Amino acid sequence: MPCSRTLTLSLIALFCFLGWGIPRACAAGDVSVRAELSRPEVSAGEMTELQLKVTGAEVADVPREVAAEGLQIRLTGQSTQVQMVNFKVSSSVVYSYIVMPLRTGTFTIPSIPVRTTGGVLQTAPLSFAVVDGGGGQSASGQGVGVPSAVPPVQQIMPGFSQRPARPAPQRAETGRLAFGEISSPKKTLYLGEMVPVEIRYYFDARYQVQVKGKLDFGSEGILVERFPDPKESREDRDGVTYNVLSFQTLLSAVKPGSIDIAPAKLDSQIQMPGAMPPGFDDPVFQQMLGGRNPFTQARDLTVKTAPLHLDVLLLPKEGRPASFAGAVGQFDMDAFVPNPKPAPGDPAVLTVKIGGKGNFRAMGAPVLTDTEGWRSYPPSDKFEGSDQLSYAGVKSFDFTLIAQQPMKSSPGSEFSYFDPVSAKYVTLNTKPLPLNASPVPTGGTSPVVVAQPQTTPQQGASPAHATAGALDKSGNGDLISSVTLHSWKTPMQRAEFIIASLAMLVASAALTGIFHVRNLQRQKGSATARRRRLAELLASLKTEALDATASYDAAVEYLTLLHTAETNPALLEITTRRDLLKYGVGGSVALSGKEREKLVDQLVQVTSDKA
Amino acid sequence: MIKKIRFFLPVLLICLGVSVHLQASIPEEASVANQSLASGHYTEALEAYKLLLATPQFEKFSSPELWYHRGLAEEKTGDLVAASLSYRRALLLDPTLPPARTRLAAVLGTLGVPHALDWHDQLLMRVHPDLLVLGGAILGWVGILAFVFLLLAGPRRPVLIGLALALFILGHGLSIFGTLNDPRRQIANQAVVTAKNAPTIHATPADSSASDGTLAPGSLLTILSRNGAWWKVSDGPAKTGWILSNAVTPLLPSSDRL
Repeated sequence: MPCSRTLTLSLIALFCFLGWGIPRACAAGDVSVRAELSRPEVSAGEMTELQLKVTGAEVADVPREVAAEGLQIRLTGQSTQVQMVNFKVSSSVVYSYIVMPLRTGTFTIPSIPVRTTGGVLQTAPLSFAVVDGGGGQSASGQGVGVPSAVPPVQQIMPGFSQRPARPAPQRAETGRLAFGEISSPKKTLYLGEMVPVEIRYYFDARYQVQVKGKLDFGSEGILVERFPDPKESREDRDGVTYNVLSFQTLLSAVKPGSIDIAPAKLDSQIQMPGAMPPGFDDPVFQQMLGGRNPFTQARDLTVKTAPLHLDVLLLPKEGRPASFAGAVGQFDMDAFVPNPKPAPGDPAVLTVKIGGKGNFRAMGAPVLTDTEGWRSYPPSDKFEGSDQLSYAGVKSFDFTLIAQQPMKSSPGSEFSYFDPVSAKYVTLNTKPLPLNASPVPTGGTSPVVVAQPQTTPQQGASPAHATAGALDKSGNGDLISSVTLHSWKTPMQRAEFIIASLAMLVASAALTGIFHVRNLQRQKGSATARRRRLAELLASLKTEALDATASYDAAVEYLTLLHTAETNPALLEITTRRDLLKYGVGGSVALSGKEREKLVDQLVQVTSDKA
Repeated sequence: MIKKIRFFLPVLLICLGVSVHLQASIPEEASVANQSLASGHYTEALEAYKLLLATPQFEKFSSPELWYHRGLAEEKTGDLVAASLSYRRALLLDPTLPPARTRLAAVLGTLGVPHALDWHDQLLMRVHPDLLVLGGAILGWVGILAFVFLLLAGPRRPVLIGLALALFILGHGLSIFGTLNDPRRQIANQAVVTAKNAPTIHATPADSSASDGTLAPGSLLTILSRNGAWWKVSDGPAKTGWILSNAVTPLLPSSDRL
């Protein structure tokens, strides 16, 4: 028990340290950034890798592209490293850029601003030289000419699911328990070309295996894309059934020459049959367990593949189009205008879609042609992959265009890429499309008002200059002398409005109540008077003070106040008798006691019937 | 009865009117900042506007004019993205402020952000939503009071009662319409891309996840959910994904104000 408790406490302490201590230690450390070139000097046509290492921060905001005269520097990926030395934990994020020289000479890669939790940091400027002539410093000289038989991409790419078409694996067995294989459809590739790689680990299906840690695969001079979740399957090899773990990814090279990639390693733990403790090696006991050994021992195992050798070729300088911006693969292009008739002054959008297979992440945008009369801006882009590795798909570039004069057609576009199958550059073009657009009418009241910046942003003018003189423009930047206050909330979200509305609701209810009570009182008053009159009439009929005509008049009034129906026999009879006395006999006639009694009875009867 | 109605109506008008549109006396700091801006000292003006708008006086109620001036100062100092945010805030407070709308369109045009006006914006340019809501509420309550009066104490003429009912429905309908059309209704879930470089939108909240494209600086986003430093945002129905929160700034200057 004490041992178990100690173990539990140790585990809790470890989890606390891992869950709280490491991130705190990482966060507490100083943030620093450093830029490094994999090669400070290359030959014309070669590329190199620029690594931006951010230490002490978990996230950082780095530019996707770095502007440098004569160079094209584009972000291609990132990786995270966590180190613990003497219980001091440090984390770093490495951002990888591809540096593609556009001409020979000596260049300076400027300071790169990196926004981190510790503020904006700058890297030191780096010198970079591009010399004329073949062969860079690290070219291995192993015949890096264009291969005569580069396998067609179309035959290779569906390859992940076509296991029989896979080249013979380079097998590195670790006994019979586990082994790894690595396969790539291409052993010779061009700089920047994306090549699929499959790494498969075989584990003897009879033993339980636990994978520990991540796949360790990579080498200097290559960029490995993110590994998606591995696929699991089962496969028979030489009569043994294996559980297979398949990792698929893409790699690209940033350095020409021969590259030997170290074996891909995967740490695992296999549960091996252990020795029976004394007392459990009884045959009867083993028979009860079905012949299985319940006692196992864990064995740590690092499963490796064979190393992978690649030959990386330079992209040819001959025939490189001006619009080439690093795309390597096989692509097609299409363009369309979503809204061919924007309102005057409205920006138009030209969407250019690049589809196919290749290095979508590293490719630059198409170049617009026939742009006279248009102002255009750097496009926004979006990629939709059609496979898990984002090797195939469609990348859309949306160019925002503003007409400087009435225009009838959009700009065209041009896109160049290097086709590794034919080993040639290919240039695609789209023609201008019908598009009716016009600038803001002078003095008009267009619904969309787009200002006229002083310079074109694509020409590199600073935004400050682009809008200089805003205050000088009439109505476009005038100061407003008054200051009004408005709430950030809508009226219905504000307490004042809700209180006022509730007050009005209460007031309406009160008003309704007041009117209702008043009407009730009015009705109640009239009912009381009515009852009083009825009592007076009945009382007067019972006395002999009234003559016959007056008595019948009182009786008719009584019945009328009672709201007696006109067809009531008693009312008809009394009315007839009254009319006879009033208009037939004439004069004042006394009512006999018997008739008075009958009249009173009739009224009482009608009253009781009504009740 | 007429006396009672005469009493309630001013109470209503006072309660609603005071809460909506306060004409503030111009603070001295605002005058100084305006002078700096007019004389070309843009950095000084910008700092002054920043300090002024951060004071408690302008916390729950703020000034569209001051946000507009701040946007002008930011535009002149070259920070177009920040200027777009300030202009958007000015227009939230007062959608009928024409110069702010003009400058916002200009800045967004320079940043390359598509900016089209739909009928909601066209309406907002002409009628402040507060006017719709409060005017409609007043009409609606007058309709209710008239209905009660005519039904319980008046001549009970069907035409007049019908008119009172129509006034009630029309007034409160306008009030609800004004609220639905008020851009401040969604302000708590909106943000503007303020990173200078177009930030990448990710499929999942992780640096290593697949990229779904980039967002143009100055774009207006809808925040769908928040997960620590990662926010799930939408830039229209076709573009939804995760982005680091330090790349965007909420449209509401301080989220605890609502």
